[in-house]
Amino acid sequence: MKATVAAWVLCAAIPASVQAATPDPLNSPLWDYMRKQFIGDDEFVFDERVKVELPEFAEDPTQVPITINAEALSGNIQRIVTWADLNPIQHIFTYYPHPQIVPRVSLRIKVQQGTAIRAAVLTKDNVWHVGGNYLDAAGGGCTAPSAANADPYWESHLGEMKSRFFPRSEGGRYKFKVIHPMDTGLVDAIPEFYIQQVAVRSESGQALARMELSQPVSENPVITFDVRDSTRKHRIWLRDNGGNEFEQDL
Amino acid sequence: MLNKIIVALGALLASQMIFAAPLSYQLNPTEIAPNTWVLQGKLEDFSSKNGGNIVNTGFVVTEEGVLVIDTGPSLKYGQEMRAAIRRITDKPIKYVFNTHHHPDHFLGNQAFKDIEILSLPKTKQQLRQHGDAFAGNMYRLVGDWMRSTDVLLPTKTIDKDSLVLGSHRFKLMPFAGHTGSDLVVLDEKTGVLFASDIVFYQRALTTPHTPGIAVWLGEIQKLKNIKYNYLVPGHGPITQDKKPLYQMEAYLNWLDDILTSSAKAGLSMTEVINIPISEAFSDIELSRHEFIRTVAHLYPQYEERFF
Repeated sequence: MKATVAAWVLCAAIPASVQAATPDPLNSPLWDYMRKQFIGDDEFVFDERVKVELPEFAEDPTQVPITINAEALSGNIQRIVTWADLNPIQHIFTYYPHPQIVPRVSLRIKVQQGTAIRAAVLTKDNVWHVGGNYLDAAGGGCTAPSAANADPYWESHLGEMKSRFFPRSEGGRYKFKVIHPMDTGLVDAIPEFYIQQVAVRSESGQALARMELSQPVSENPVITFDVRDSTRKHRIWLRDNGGNEFEQDL
Repeated sequence: MLNKIIVALGALLASQMIFAAPLSYQLNPTEIAPNTWVLQGKLEDFSSKNGGNIVNTGFVVTEEGVLVIDTGPSLKYGQEMRAAIRRITDKPIKYVFNTHHHPDHFLGNQAFKDIEILSLPKTKQQLRQHGDAFAGNMYRLVGDWMRSTDVLLPTKTIDKDSLVLGSHRFKLMPFAGHTGSDLVVLDEKTGVLFASDIVFYQRALTTPHTPGIAVWLGEIQKLKNIKYNYLVPGHGPITQDKKPLYQMEAYLNWLDDILTSSAKAGLSMTEVINIPISEAFSDIELSRHEFIRTVAHLYPQYEERFF
């Protein structure tokens, strides 16, 4: 407690201009600009406890696996914002956690070129804890047509979900996949069409954790997350920017 | 004063010239069997340092002319390969084979544009579809070595299971494990098996276009039943034994086991990527790098089985 207060006093004593001069550990040319967009002039610290796990290079720039892991700050999180500094659309997702769900989520994203990938965790004391990692990539992932564009399969299977529960030593894991083109709108003559909202609900329909997704989330999203209590049942609910809603038991 | 400037300029130019020494692959063919030559590439990934020379190419000199197997990663490589052949024989080059559609095996084709270039029918189709993208990516990866390199498609597709040139009979075997269309060539006279990229040895295999590990494993079994004196893998050292086939089998089985058990446990792709490579493969170059690529290529299919 003492340490928290001390840290708070220390933070309060540092004016925003000094904070802005904190060097970006990833040395990204757009850090300052992105910071202003996503966390404004709020207080922030670079925090290694916020982990962005990814391969060091993107083998397929349309399907880059990432895991955002803020377990170390569990119980103290308001929301998590993730973005890719050098993507044409930077925002990837914003995550609102719930005590029953571990604040760690894995999915796949599109990248347009090598870029820093960030996760900024807003804790309950209104400080952003920023983690990140650098991804090398040949690029082109955001302006490549979705596979759906060449294959009408998705039209008759839009929103179809597959999910599976995997028991873990503590709690359990859900992995689900949904058929959706996740078009970015950056490809000629293909309008943006993507899932914007994801919510994990309790059996009775109460919203637990939720996510706001943006266009860089890969086509046919596969999302993995862990729950603390494996005895409870859960449902998943999605809505895309065309207003289509999809819901099913996990 | 002026003299000094001229001298200084001259020195500067000379130093520039040293730095700008023309790129060269320094190709040095090795005669592995009578009249059978192999140009062995490095056990590396594409880089601006190696110019893409990470591949094994070869040629066989017969009484009636020369048969070439694969043309390397660039026009420059093709030209240097052709010059190397010319240093060894003045017999005409009769046939050029492209074993499959990956860029390190065919982008030297332009150096052989006056000669019949053969591939399996599906390989030609794949080259038409992906060739330009591969070439573009190679410019990005190795840079100036690629200068003036362009895709030149095979002039003819293979429709027979053998080809005779001089006293050599070449058995042409269509395989699929590596890219969906892979040509394996056995010279029945010398017993040299050109396995193309169906076999990698001491260098981790690559999987971007494999139809699946099961298909590939089946073909390794087939190769085990072929009698040969020398095995020329697509990448890695030439051997007279079956060690490369056992290594391929062990590595493919390990991959299949890891991907299956990971999918069964619900692991995410980032978790799978961090699984340590079995110590049994610690002497295989680039195994970490290629494992990361393989997870990207194949893991989604394994995940699909456990939804």
